[in-house]
Amino acid sequence: MRDDMLSSILSELNGTSADIEASAVISIDGLMIASMLPQGMDEDRVGAMSAAMLSLGGRTADELGRGELEQVLIKADDGFVLMTNAGKDAVVTVMAKPKAKLGLIFLDVKRAADNIEQIL
Amino acid sequence: MMSSLKIVFSGPVGAGKTTAIGAISDAAPVSTNEQASDMTRQRKSETTVALDYGVMQLDSEEKIHLYGTPGQERFNFMWDILANGGIGLVLLLDNTRKDPLTDMAFFIDSFRDYISQTALAIGVTQTDLKAMPRLDIYNTKLREMKMSAAVFEVDARERNDVSLLVQSLLFTIDPGLEY
Repeated sequence: MRDDMLSSILSELNGTSADIEASAVISIDGLMIASMLPQGMDEDRVGAMSAAMLSLGGRTADELGRGELEQVLIKADDGFVLMTNAGKDAVVTVMAKPKAKLGLIFLDVKRAADNIEQIL
Repeated sequence: MMSSLKIVFSGPVGAGKTTAIGAISDAAPVSTNEQASDMTRQRKSETTVALDYGVMQLDSEEKIHLYGTPGQERFNFMWDILANGGIGLVLLLDNTRKDPLTDMAFFIDSFRDYISQTALAIGVTQTDLKAMPRLDIYNTKLREMKMSAAVFEVDARERNDVSLLVQSLLFTIDPGLEY
């Protein structure tokens, strides 16, 4: 039931923009809770990397006096990876195309993260 | 001149890596503990997901940067990242785990390239809770694996224990180095 709801949130999120290529909900210790990933992408890796990045981002924000972490953005040649807190216990990770309109994606991901927080 | 050295602490979940770095760091350690949701939860409530960091001042000029890895294999990309540029590995093993000798072999294999270029020291924790296997068994296994490393029983909470382990690692690297 919970898994179905999470899957439907991710599926809706992937549908909001053609620029979103993959998304996942991950526990803060790096385990996959729900995912809509392309074939061949290793769930364990996506999970662990998201947890490590978000945790480091949180420590950095805190130590450098930037307050509570909201998200970590990675920009690379072939696209973006966006990691956003979904409450205290989970992370939403989204992968987007290089020319993605980030402002819209931020909004959609934020909405999805809020919904996910409610369910978990 | 070695003015800034880096050593890496690794080993399975719950071996005491975060605790050990906290015990010997001269500055407030950085840790990335998050609430555990996997099997780890049966042993402890929080687990390292990126790294631990601490620093040990050797004298007024030299210091050692201490980096701890996450224990779970899914974080092994962090093992490579953290080992890069290091001069040695402190491997912590929890004697109460199901098969600490296999843990040792697994981590030595995972860090084999790194160890071959640097040095290794092994600390066995929780021996007060479970005495077996004894240190000579670890030594025998090490010889079978054609590895040489000092093996100690340590309490990861005790600054002196962890410090001894680090000193023995440094001594392996450079017998002239004084602490």
